[in-house]
Amino acid sequence: MITGAPIVVDGVSKRYETPSGPVAAVESVSLTVRPGEFISLLGPSGCGKSTVLGMVGGLLRPDTGRILIDALPIAGPNPKKVALVFQDPGLFPWRTALDNVGFGLELAGVAAARRREIALGLLEPMGLKGFEAKYPRELSGGMRQRVAIARALALDTPILLMDEPFGALDEQTRLLMGEWLVDIRRRTSRTIVFVTHSLYEAIALSDRIAVMTARPGRIKDVLEVTLPYPRVLDAPEAVDLHAKLWAQLREESLRAMDGQQ
Amino acid sequence: MGRLRVLGWQALSVGAALLAWEAAVRVGLLDAAFIPAPSAVLRALAATAADTLPRLGDTLVKTLLGYALAVGVGVPAGLVLGSRPVAHAVAMPYVVALYGIPKILILPWIALIFGIGLSTAALSAAVFAVFPVVVLIAAGTRDVDPAIVTVAVSMGASRAQIARKVLLPAVVPSVLTAMRVAMVFAMLGALLAEMLAGNRGMGFQMQRMALAFRAPELFAATAIVSVLSISAVLFLEHLNERLGRWR
Amino acid sequence: MRIWLWRALVLLGALALWEAAARMLNPILYVGPSRLPAALGRVLATRDLPPLADHVWITLGEIAAAYVLAVAGGLWVGFLLGLRKTLGRIYEPLLAALYAVPSVVWYPSLMLFFGLGPASKIAFGVLLGFFPVTLAVLAGIRQVPATLVTVATSMGAGPWTLFRKVMLPAMASTLVGGLRTGLALSVVGVLVGELLGARSGLGYLINYAYGLMMTAEYAALVVLVAAAVLLLDGAGSLAEARVKRWAD
Repeated sequence: MITGAPIVVDGVSKRYETPSGPVAAVESVSLTVRPGEFISLLGPSGCGKSTVLGMVGGLLRPDTGRILIDALPIAGPNPKKVALVFQDPGLFPWRTALDNVGFGLELAGVAAARRREIALGLLEPMGLKGFEAKYPRELSGGMRQRVAIARALALDTPILLMDEPFGALDEQTRLLMGEWLVDIRRRTSRTIVFVTHSLYEAIALSDRIAVMTARPGRIKDVLEVTLPYPRVLDAPEAVDLHAKLWAQLREESLRAMDGQQ
Repeated sequence: MGRLRVLGWQALSVGAALLAWEAAVRVGLLDAAFIPAPSAVLRALAATAADTLPRLGDTLVKTLLGYALAVGVGVPAGLVLGSRPVAHAVAMPYVVALYGIPKILILPWIALIFGIGLSTAALSAAVFAVFPVVVLIAAGTRDVDPAIVTVAVSMGASRAQIARKVLLPAVVPSVLTAMRVAMVFAMLGALLAEMLAGNRGMGFQMQRMALAFRAPELFAATAIVSVLSISAVLFLEHLNERLGRWR
Repeated sequence: MRIWLWRALVLLGALALWEAAARMLNPILYVGPSRLPAALGRVLATRDLPPLADHVWITLGEIAAAYVLAVAGGLWVGFLLGLRKTLGRIYEPLLAALYAVPSVVWYPSLMLFFGLGPASKIAFGVLLGFFPVTLAVLAGIRQVPATLVTVATSMGAGPWTLFRKVMLPAMASTLVGGLRTGLALSVVGVLVGELLGARSGLGYLINYAYGLMMTAEYAALVVLVAAAVLLLDGAGSLAEARVKRWAD
């Protein structure tokens, strides 16, 4: 059983250079993620939630502040501690599903037989048994994303970062994937940071929800979700939470829209 | 229209054209000295058969040598230009400009230095073939999906691993296309050099037959080179299909 | 801004390398850029070479004739095969097969038939320039959005109106691209023809210089022709950009 690792984001900010001058994407973001918890980052478009995730994943360097994983500062991608899943599954089109899942292991020098074993072991509970020899071109959107998630899980990291992984999928698939993610989560105790703009997803999946402001993004509020699994979204507590979240989010969404002139 | 019917019409058209051609020459509509009858061409093919193979081989060797050189230089150059935006911005205008200059202009000079024969023709083939290779591969490398590169980076891949395991396989389709195009250009360069400054090979043969007014032999040689070229391209296209099952 | 600097540096570096190499090697075979202006002067002064101007006109005339014929032929065949679908299905693959043959193989036959005069050069220019135009027409027709055609037809547009007001504008940028490539190839065709066997024209002049081992004059001519071709293609590219802005 994996134990999740704690993440500390401390006073982090990041600027981007644009043709019309520097733009602050996020400013003074501070957040503590408990080991093994599922926390969602919820916010309007452009609030910088993907930027925050990118920094935790070591793909972007913060301009100020620091990020600690397991009490150690990060200095780039850390495949031993952090695995990422993006909205675009980013599968290698020339590799079969099996070889895609084994990619990270290949980079780490794991032997072929062992890679195959691990990959098959991950694909089967995802309902992809029998599809391991298929190419991404032959898989549906939902299947591709599952392969992408399996690829991330293969690294066996204590932390999983997911950037709107179900954003490109249709509603039904999204609902099913959500259920299935909850299932994975129950079987391991990884720390999961989940970026989304969907209130539904945030409530259905998370232990805590961090709401971000419009750009430049800051953490506006962090709400606890104490509903038991499986979550019933028309239960009064859920409806209540939804209202509270929307009240916060709506304000920021309006602000984001105004800012987009 | 079904494939078979299309093929049927194509065969019929070619056959009819050949028959009309034969008839026109026999009737005197076409001057046989300038445009020989297909039957005369066939006879010339048979008559020159013994010499044709070595000549063809000669041209092929020059083509393949030049081709190998062009690919050996062009593929790495294209990869470098495609993967480094600064290098691309700086160097590409020059590559395109050089590509646009008729390369035949420097053939006399190459012949002056390397003499009549194999080196000139092989070098000529290389010069003609290298440009499309560089341009196509640079474009293919630039077009690699950034999402998959990000995935590799996030998994801690080193620069070498990214180049080997992501860029290279992603670029393979462009490489195959470039190799197909380069083959025709390489052959062009070799033949041109043979015509301009050669003493052997199919290009030299064609030029010689033209200047000697031996039309049937000329047409026979032309037909042979055409068939060779079309076959080579078809083969490379087939290879392209086979290697690209995942696309 | 910095990119322009780098580009200039690359050019200067290449010229410097060329000059340095040429000075170290046999001056009969290797001509550095410093010798070119003087050589060009000699060429223009018509001292040891036939007059440049006369041959330039001949070549230009051949190019013009070849291009006009190539475009006319290319447009005609392109529209014929593109608009009549059955003809297209049968003959386009045959055309594509011919494209796989290195164009130069046709030249000796043209030389045999037309002789060494301008006719064979024009014929070769037509042959080379014809393909890009035809292919561009075919590609252009194919990429006219079917929805545009449907909408126009539903508004009562007849075939000629459809062609003029829907297809042509939609094809315009692809077509101009083909016309531009056709020009470049017609030029190459004429030059190749002249270099392989001619009694007049720029290619003949180049061969003349090279035959007499007048390497500097030969180099000057090559640079001249290369520059002219680039300028012509540059003009073509500007025209294409102008059309693209208007068409898209």
